[in-house]
Amino acid sequence: MLKWIQVLWPSFMVAFVATVFFFTVVNPQELYLLGDPVEYSPIATYSIGFFGFWVVCAASSLISIYLEPPSKRGS
Amino acid sequence: MADPANKPSPDKAAQGSDSNPDTLYASRKKLQVRSTSGVFTNWRWAMVWLTQILYYGLPWLTWNDRQAVLFHLTERKFYIFGWVFWPQDVFYLAILLIISAYALFFFTAIAGRLWCGYTCPQTVYTEIFMWIEEKIEGDHNKRRKLDAAPMDARKFMLRGAKFGAWAIFSLWTGFTLVAYFSPVEELLQALTTFGFGPWETFWILFYAGFTYVFAGLLREQVCKYMCPYARFQGVMFDPDTLVVTYDEFRGEPRGTRKKGVDPKTVGKGDCIDCGICVQVCPTGIDIRQGLQYECIGCGACIDACDQVMDKMSYPRGLIRYSTENALKKRWGMKEILVHVARPRTLIYGGLLVAICIAMVVGLATRTDLRVDILRDRATLAREVEGGLIENVYRLQVINMIEEARNVTISVSGLDGIHLDSDGLAALPAATTESVTVQVRVPYDAAEPGVHQIVFEVVVDDDPSVVVREGTTFIIPR
Ligand code: SF4
Ligand code: SF4
Repeated sequence: MLKWIQVLWPSFMVAFVATVFFFTVVNPQELYLLGDPVEYSPIATYSIGFFGFWVVCAASSLISIYLEPPSKRGS
Repeated sequence: MADPANKPSPDKAAQGSDSNPDTLYASRKKLQVRSTSGVFTNWRWAMVWLTQILYYGLPWLTWNDRQAVLFHLTERKFYIFGWVFWPQDVFYLAILLIISAYALFFFTAIAGRLWCGYTCPQTVYTEIFMWIEEKIEGDHNKRRKLDAAPMDARKFMLRGAKFGAWAIFSLWTGFTLVAYFSPVEELLQALTTFGFGPWETFWILFYAGFTYVFAGLLREQVCKYMCPYARFQGVMFDPDTLVVTYDEFRGEPRGTRKKGVDPKTVGKGDCIDCGICVQVCPTGIDIRQGLQYECIGCGACIDACDQVMDKMSYPRGLIRYSTENALKKRWGMKEILVHVARPRTLIYGGLLVAICIAMVVGLATRTDLRVDILRDRATLAREVEGGLIENVYRLQVINMIEEARNVTISVSGLDGIHLDSDGLAALPAATTESVTVQVRVPYDAAEPGVHQIVFEVVVDDDPSVVVREGTTFIIPR
């Protein structure tokens, strides 16, 4: 449980900030996905963007706790 | 109230697990917090009402025939009463964040975790959830008994009612959150048919789930283990910061005694060791052990202890807002207040005021017209009849207010430079208009090469609103 929270929670916070920042600067209507303009509704684009950031950040957190020195690692 | 809860020990067991990081979330002892009444409890409830009336109420207000506060994601516009903010205004958002940060520093330096104790959504929703819990399952003693009881029809009913009430409240909270981003009218229509869009449904449920888990289940653990501010706030404290403090000099040695006994005659301090301050603490700590990072400064223990002191006919304030220095040097309220003004608070306060002024000035002088110039890359420069050189530009003119306006575009910077058209453009309310203009210059006006020119866009009805934007004009060789 602790590990899950350690991975998911910090990444959630960072993903939130990153999403706000990214979509303030970039208009999703001007994005291209694999060469084609993005055609999802804006709310879908923002949401997918958020989850994308979350996954990336969670991956980083995951590696962080994986690489933690064994003495500090729990159970 | 002769019950085992009179001893603080069960709550202390909760702290014991803190030393082992692996059991942080798993083996936490569930707290059944005793409710309080008193000055700080009233303040806390006042803030619950204030913040939640704002939160649940704002999406329902209208202004200029639209939702008063709407962060319209689809249109990429933020409506806040009379203002419309565009992505170009991100600067104001940044300033707002800086103001929030400094306000947090400032208030924390003066009186500790005021934010945590009174306004943080975590506190506010926990307060509301605990209120619901108490109404359905009874006070902390009844709840503890219920926790221990085996599942039977009554327990099942009570649990069902509580979880159901929490769920309804959470769903409403989730709905409200989405109403800040999608027009509430559309949402309301969708609500009658349950025809929300997939992502709206998702976010309503997501935030509802968040509220439910954080305020219903995790509670003080969010503050203890998940909140960055809780870890960070220590550095903003100093010995003159007002925090909830147990007056050790007055209270110790603690111990039970009969009502009406003068503590001095029995060689004791004022603390009767009733443990009520521990029972009311939403984070389950014993404030008598000194300032701890878990303490969210809610003041519940102050209210609780004051009531005990009243009953014993001792002066109030055995637990009170005080500072480290005040306790050590036995200062009174006057000296404490004198020390509120100290370099740290003055600097934070000064910066806060300065940034707020900058924000107000910025908003007051903000031009509500914006122009971005894009060159037409396809036709860089060409010669047209009459010995003229022509460059083509696309002007993105943003009319930031909710009023249609006419503007006149003109250009300067080279001899004989002029537009091919009359430069008039009509801008609908709060929209971005794309205007293509041909700029012409006599062939011999300047050397071949790149020249600076300036576009000027003036509002016809109000010539004080004018935007100048520079760009380049190319004369081919
Ligand atoms: S510790 Fe964090 S979550 Fe808890 S009340 Fe304070 S700011 Fe809110
Ligand atoms: S110790 Fe007192 S002020 Fe601190 S969290 Fe507990 S009840 Fe609130």
